[in-house]
Amino acid sequence: MTSNPGGRERKNIENWPRQLMRSFWRHCILFGEYLSQYAKMRMEYRGDFIVSTATSFAATIFALFFVVVLFRKIPSLAGWTFPEEIFLYGFSLLPYGIFNIISLNLYDFGNNYIIEGKFDRVMLRPISTLFQVLFEQFRLESIQEIATGLFCMGWASSRLHVHWTAGKFSLLVFWGACAGIIYVSVFLLLTTISFWFEDRIGVHPPVWNVIAFGRYPLSIYSGVVQFFLCWIIPFGLASFYPSVRLLGHTVTPEYLPFVPVVALAFLVFAIFMWNFGTRHYSSTGS
Amino acid sequence: MAADKLTGAPLIDVRELSKDFRTFKRREGVWGSIQNLFVRDYMTVNAVDRVSFEVKPGEMVGYIGPNGAGKSTSIKMLTGILMPSSGEARVNGFVPYKQRRQYVKTIGVVFGQRTQLWWDIAVVESFKLLRRIYEVSERDFQERMERFNQILGIQDYLFTPVRKLSLGERMRCDLAAALLHNPPLLFLDEPTIGLDVVAKDQIRKFLRAINREFQTTVLLTTHDLDDIEELCRRIMIIDHGRLLYDGPLDLLKQKLLRTKQIKFAVKDSAQLAGVHAFTRDGLELEQVDQLTYRIRFDRVKVSTADLIRQILNSVEVRDLLIEDEPIEEVVKRIYAGAALQEVAL
Repeated sequence: MTSNPGGRERKNIENWPRQLMRSFWRHCILFGEYLSQYAKMRMEYRGDFIVSTATSFAATIFALFFVVVLFRKIPSLAGWTFPEEIFLYGFSLLPYGIFNIISLNLYDFGNNYIIEGKFDRVMLRPISTLFQVLFEQFRLESIQEIATGLFCMGWASSRLHVHWTAGKFSLLVFWGACAGIIYVSVFLLLTTISFWFEDRIGVHPPVWNVIAFGRYPLSIYSGVVQFFLCWIIPFGLASFYPSVRLLGHTVTPEYLPFVPVVALAFLVFAIFMWNFGTRHYSSTGS
Repeated sequence: MAADKLTGAPLIDVRELSKDFRTFKRREGVWGSIQNLFVRDYMTVNAVDRVSFEVKPGEMVGYIGPNGAGKSTSIKMLTGILMPSSGEARVNGFVPYKQRRQYVKTIGVVFGQRTQLWWDIAVVESFKLLRRIYEVSERDFQERMERFNQILGIQDYLFTPVRKLSLGERMRCDLAAALLHNPPLLFLDEPTIGLDVVAKDQIRKFLRAINREFQTTVLLTTHDLDDIEELCRRIMIIDHGRLLYDGPLDLLKQKLLRTKQIKFAVKDSAQLAGVHAFTRDGLELEQVDQLTYRIRFDRVKVSTADLIRQILNSVEVRDLLIEDEPIEEVVKRIYAGAALQEVAL
């Protein structure tokens, strides 16, 4: 026998912190490799990359333009002035950009991986299946969303005299990451449905439309919608409370502490469902 | 393939392995598909039904069967993609579906119909990424690439995007990719499907070479029995999920190749009258072209030597050839169930 899995497993249990670190580091390196692999692929079709960056940027600008037009008609929205709304809008673009960059594959998962059978190949590689599916493709042009978001926040900050300190900036990164995790996890959860139902289109599009709700102050919505945007599909929670805090305002009820909690809960649940779905896939095939 | 290598502990050990699928009868037509949405008659299909076998290190085993026989399902269970419904499989010391990540490092898999390379970029980039995924050292990587180049001749298109490769070129690259981490065991699902004669030959040569040099054990499914004849001494035949035959190819031939054929060309058309003496019971006479004939007969009932003597005595023969029944015919008979009782060896 060439290997001794029993012995290796026991060693794994003893050294699990080191193993975990090693695995984490290995996946970080692989992330870089996958990213550069994808970048090379995109460079094969340079024209396509330029065109899709331009259209993606145009879409961001049109959506922003809508807010500008809206505020030419009304002085404020539920007590939020134009620069404040632009700040919130800018912040909401951060998780949206993160989600767009890494979740391109989730959209096509049912079609591409389950129905066409690409998932078999994913299972034959000695790294996490979720890692492979998330990072086999990126929508690099969505960096423009993050850039536009930061630009909006910068412009609004200068209008509102918001001062940025290193501490505040690291909070921005932290809450941006939490919000990004929430967006990705929600769509990941929707993706796992493909393990049970063979479906080419998927259930993403209606939920994708909910993203727009997170770009406006939660206080403009009715109680039911607020509850929905905080706890069911928490795109409102993800962008509203961090923006309020970064602007130096306060709001009641204060749900800010729940942002990381909800992010973690959704992530853990999504990973659990992913693994559960993978097991279902192994027992039924496609 | 040295005989002493076959005495080691089995690399693949499969006991009573089964896989059931629950499917439903699909109704036809638009109305039928609407009905399908609401009412489904489920039925259980035994894709693989209590299959047991062992494969020892260094063996090359052909796994054949008609479409839908359970070959791919078996391979998927052995590679850890599918979980068995019942039974056990231990491969390379692992339970494939339980220890997936550790296990798949010890195998190579090639699906003839699907590539595992990155479609849009140069082949070499796929190899580099696979080197990272499988944690192959730079030195081993260089060494193996050189060897693969020697046998497969892939250096000419290493920098071509995969989508621009011909099927044969892509297949060679896929094989190299599957062996980059030097796995002791290689699964091939229809490795020569759709390839031309030259590409087929090169791939067979490569498989023999890696079997010899690295003692790589190979389990391959195929529809091309030339693959089996050129590569495998042992074959397994599966149909309707059941293993029908597991043993040496030679023994199968010996037991089941009952029909022989003699092809002969006569000197001129004056000989034709003599030829027709052979349209008698137990012989099947067929005219191939103007002066060439073929006689098929059961070698158990008719002595080959006697028949040749008779032919030579009654007609003037220019050329004569004795052939075995093609192995395809034997396998066809096994699939048809006609040879089942004979297989009970």
